[in-house]
Amino acid sequence: MTVTYRAVEPPTLPAPRTSRSVPVITVLGVAVVIGVVVSAGTGQYALGLDRVVSSLIARISRTGSGGLDAAAESVLWDVRMPRLVMAVLVGAALGVAGALMQGLFRNPLAEPAVVGVSSGAAVGACVAIVSGINLMGSLTAPVAAFAGAVTATAAVYLLSRSTGHADTSGVVLMGVAVNAIAAAGIGVAVVAAGPRARQDILFWQLGSLNGTRWVAVGAALPLLVVGLVAAVLLSRSLDLLSLGESTARHLGVDVERSQVAAIATVALLVGPATAFCGIIGFVGLVVAHALRIVLGPRHRPLIIGSALGGALVMVVADTAARTAVAHAELPVGMLTALVGGPVFLLLLRRRKTLGVPR
Amino acid sequence: MTANGHNLNAEAILALAPTVILTDYTIGPVEVQMQLRDAGIPVVVLDDRRTADTVTSQIHEVSEALGVPEAGEQLAERTAKEIPAARQRVDRLRSVNGQRSPRAVFLYLRGRSGTYDWFGKDTGADDLIAALGATDVATASGVKGYQPLNAEALAAAAPDVVLVMTDGLASVGGVDGLLGLPGVAETPAGRTRCVIDMADTEILSFGTRFAPTIDALGDALYRSGAVAEQAARR
Repeated sequence: MTVTYRAVEPPTLPAPRTSRSVPVITVLGVAVVIGVVVSAGTGQYALGLDRVVSSLIARISRTGSGGLDAAAESVLWDVRMPRLVMAVLVGAALGVAGALMQGLFRNPLAEPAVVGVSSGAAVGACVAIVSGINLMGSLTAPVAAFAGAVTATAAVYLLSRSTGHADTSGVVLMGVAVNAIAAAGIGVAVVAAGPRARQDILFWQLGSLNGTRWVAVGAALPLLVVGLVAAVLLSRSLDLLSLGESTARHLGVDVERSQVAAIATVALLVGPATAFCGIIGFVGLVVAHALRIVLGPRHRPLIIGSALGGALVMVVADTAARTAVAHAELPVGMLTALVGGPVFLLLLRRRKTLGVPR
Repeated sequence: MTANGHNLNAEAILALAPTVILTDYTIGPVEVQMQLRDAGIPVVVLDDRRTADTVTSQIHEVSEALGVPEAGEQLAERTAKEIPAARQRVDRLRSVNGQRSPRAVFLYLRGRSGTYDWFGKDTGADDLIAALGATDVATASGVKGYQPLNAEALAAAAPDVVLVMTDGLASVGGVDGLLGLPGVAETPAGRTRCVIDMADTEILSFGTRFAPTIDALGDALYRSGAVAEQAARR
């Protein structure tokens, strides 16, 4: 039965722009590699690319330290590298989550933060920080944040569905409501917190990759990889869902299951990213939005491109965050919002004039 | 090292090649302190409480971390002797002028972030005010730790004098700005503009200079007699 309907599918799908996606994705991939290499050789500890490369070669060939003393060795492998790896992972996760959100809700404004995922994670993290619950050591707050992210996403989706507004404005409105409730929850946590917890909450919300250790990378990596793979696998269903729920259903898509799977994937991507690095806004929104303009609406190239684009933005932003101010740190979430906000405004103007399809 | 207590950068700190790091958990993020330990540098986490009871224990902790416990012992002994002497001087100053024990409150002000707290029991402010022979009205009103300022509760507590940090006072726009905060103008201290400010790094530091801190604040409180006049009118 499904096969019969599939025959109808090609003419109704938006025209694929494969001609553009291969070069664009290649350029993004190369840019990420260049970004990672430059970032690896940059930092407040004088440790340039030449010594980074010699240390890397020495590690791979297992021939000593490559001329680095113990301190430099530790700076490179315990401080700079885990943070760089985390930036790539988190950037990719946020970019892909943005692409998924926009595809799922057929709304170019949908991003994890807008529909409450980030603030849900924040509430989870706040509860863990303030209550001082310590069930899993340094993973307690991230696990709580993850639970908060899943709860908030599910709430937005289920509420908008149950009230019959699972369309663009309905979802955004539910997101506003859930965000408001989450903000109130964060407020309660701030009031209940002591000065130290209060500061932890404040800086957690600004978003930072500062202090990323391999433990955190190791905990986030499996979840993020599963999320990224799941996103690519979901791209076909999202393409069909973009035609509208009933059309997609007739084309053989299990709409409910695909939607739940996509939402779970978003939580899987944003939950750990937010849990370890705080709220980093606008990466998901802007990267996916910009790439949709360039690559068109097909989700497979869009998701792969968003992963690379997100990684690139995060690597660049985080390199700035850890080097811009001598002896100190800038919260990277602040930077991405500072740059992402105006960029998004420009994109919106462009979209209006060009009438780019969703 | 940092402009603000929560943006330590591990690379910047390691670039200074420290042989030992003294820290506590009031600065962070804590993950950066763990990274410094990962880098093989001894990171000594000190007690971050600052009360009259931690003056000598703090000296011992630091001197032991730096490998000079004998010097620390001498310093602790000297400091421990200076504090009761300073308290006696302040007490004498008060009684010579026939003054009653004033009611005092410590306000923590950060105008830019809108943080206006009064410090109560176990914040150190209670110890400081007790050392000055005054009554801590926040503790007397049942304030435990740091609490956001409540206008009516502060007015009801009726302090004769307000103690603040110098930068904190500046951040709300000086004494005039302070009087604009909830409840301050309604207190005896507010009506008579009785405000004593001291350097942020000094007033609640409870370090080796605790005795001079007591002396200086005692002087400000009792030498002019202004606070006493007010306490007498009560």
